[in-house]
Amino acid sequence: MFNLVAQSVLSGIGIGAVYGLIGIGFCVIYNASGIVNFAQGAFVMLGGMLTNAGMTKLGLPLPLAAIGAILIVAISGVVLERIVVRPLWNRGSTMFVMILATLAAQIVVERITQILAGDQPRTLPVFTDLPPLRLFGFAINFQFLWILGCSALVIVLLGLFFSSTRTGKAMRACSINRDAAALQGIPVSRMLALAFALSAALGAFAGILITPTQYTAFNVGVPFAISGFIAAIVGGFGRPLGAFAGGILLGVAQALAIVLLGAAFKNVAALSILLLFLFVRPTGLLGSAK
Amino acid sequence: MNSFNTIWAKGRGDRATWLLWGLAAAFVAYTFATGGYLIAVLQFALIYTVLVTGLNIFMGFTGQVSFGHNAFAAIGGYSSAVLTTTYGWEPLPACLLGLAGALACALVVGYPVLRLRGHYLAMATLAIGLIVYEVAVQWQSVTQGYMGISGIPPIGIGSFTIASDRALLVFLMIVAALAMLSAAGIRRSRLGRAFVAAAGSEDAARALGIDVARYKLTAFMISAAYAAIAGSLFVHAVGFVSPEVFGLPMVVMSFTMLYVGGIGTIAGPALGAIIISVLPESFRTFKDYQDLAYGAALIVILIYAPRGLASLPELSARWRRRSA
Repeated sequence: MFNLVAQSVLSGIGIGAVYGLIGIGFCVIYNASGIVNFAQGAFVMLGGMLTNAGMTKLGLPLPLAAIGAILIVAISGVVLERIVVRPLWNRGSTMFVMILATLAAQIVVERITQILAGDQPRTLPVFTDLPPLRLFGFAINFQFLWILGCSALVIVLLGLFFSSTRTGKAMRACSINRDAAALQGIPVSRMLALAFALSAALGAFAGILITPTQYTAFNVGVPFAISGFIAAIVGGFGRPLGAFAGGILLGVAQALAIVLLGAAFKNVAALSILLLFLFVRPTGLLGSAK
Repeated sequence: MNSFNTIWAKGRGDRATWLLWGLAAAFVAYTFATGGYLIAVLQFALIYTVLVTGLNIFMGFTGQVSFGHNAFAAIGGYSSAVLTTTYGWEPLPACLLGLAGALACALVVGYPVLRLRGHYLAMATLAIGLIVYEVAVQWQSVTQGYMGISGIPPIGIGSFTIASDRALLVFLMIVAALAMLSAAGIRRSRLGRAFVAAAGSEDAARALGIDVARYKLTAFMISAAYAAIAGSLFVHAVGFVSPEVFGLPMVVMSFTMLYVGGIGTIAGPALGAIIISVLPESFRTFKDYQDLAYGAALIVILIYAPRGLASLPELSARWRRRSA
């Protein structure tokens, strides 16, 4: 029993890291603009689906297909920003209208994918096709290591980007005060487009990492987006590291709920965590208590 | 937000408004005469009118956000379905119990949720909708999961049932009209003025002695009641219920109707419900294209006509003034 629980906690950490990456995607856009992008799930779905299409339709090897998919999704993030978000942003729409518009965009992307690719679930091969490692009596498969390694790498790179590069610093300036940033000569609107590109690429990467352990289809986006959003809330909205920690907490809680209560309680556990944090600690794990 | 509420009052008597109503009346008359599939479409539109009218009280009048009203529609719908099929209840008491259940849930859930604002409120209400959906899927002994419940009897009292399509259409028209009239009554009452005040500025409303938290909860419960009634009507009209009926697409569709018609107006919900149900009829055989059309239409409207069709009179009046 203990072994089973520990094993599922491990797999929960893997899925949780992916939720964390999606949550960071929410934070990147939120920090640059104050917008909560509910189309985040579409990027995750597109990442997996486009990589699959690249491998099966074009016969590309996995790394090439993955890089291509990430680039295309980053571009579609900018397209979303230009077509849907920018007009509303310029008019100074309310937050709710923005949420609604991005949610509608999510559904549009979902349906277009369904029309073009069908509703059959697809998958990707595992990145390293070797039997699981045996460590201290636990089976650790290589995809788990890929997920942890890649997400750690992404976080370090993001940290470096935001702390050391000019563009990263400019984006942080926008998140602190957009008007002041504009007065310093920072092109705020270009930063918004960049935030969408970055966030879309993060989502696509997360989708590619998780797909080999599960499957992908036109409709996987919304559940992933909700998990990522919960991760961001748990971490205190707008804090990338907090979102990652929140994602892992969420993944572990879901894994425990499945083992101890049954598979039916997976989503109930996630939504309960969301409501708990919203009511008791809306500033998140790392935020200061009100 | 606030000025939306005055649009209806200003627009009344305007030619464009009468034209829209004339078209709607002509369409209803035509449907009634020809019958067939269009009647089902119109029934559907009238049921959605009830749901969207309720949503409008919470979102349009009170200026709040709810992505979770499908939860209350599901509570109403499933109460009607389960009580009439499994337990052999009459439709009316089953509907009333569903209504009571939805009100109780709205009270219990609304109390903590409505303290939240902005995207926190949006997310919490979305979670409520998803939780109810999840319960409908998982609680198989009662709801039969994805299989759904079929053979739900039509609406009626005792031996008098509304079985024919045309009779149901008339009944639903009466119900939808009552929903709109009651919404207009609420808007004009002390209650409605308090809602609008809270939407304008919570601080200002509080300064005027309005207990904002209590009025928000009241608006939430009233709109939940409309949603529960719509849910009950839906399952009785269709005779079947499954979790998919009350999923996320229902939420997006009701928002599309609200925005197409014009948020915060009295006539908007009905206008939006009829247009959104009838226009994509040509797409109906392709279910995928239909959701695509709703989503795209919603984006276009949010960008180019954020106040919807019910604001056309005001827009045209302004245009005339400018050109004169």
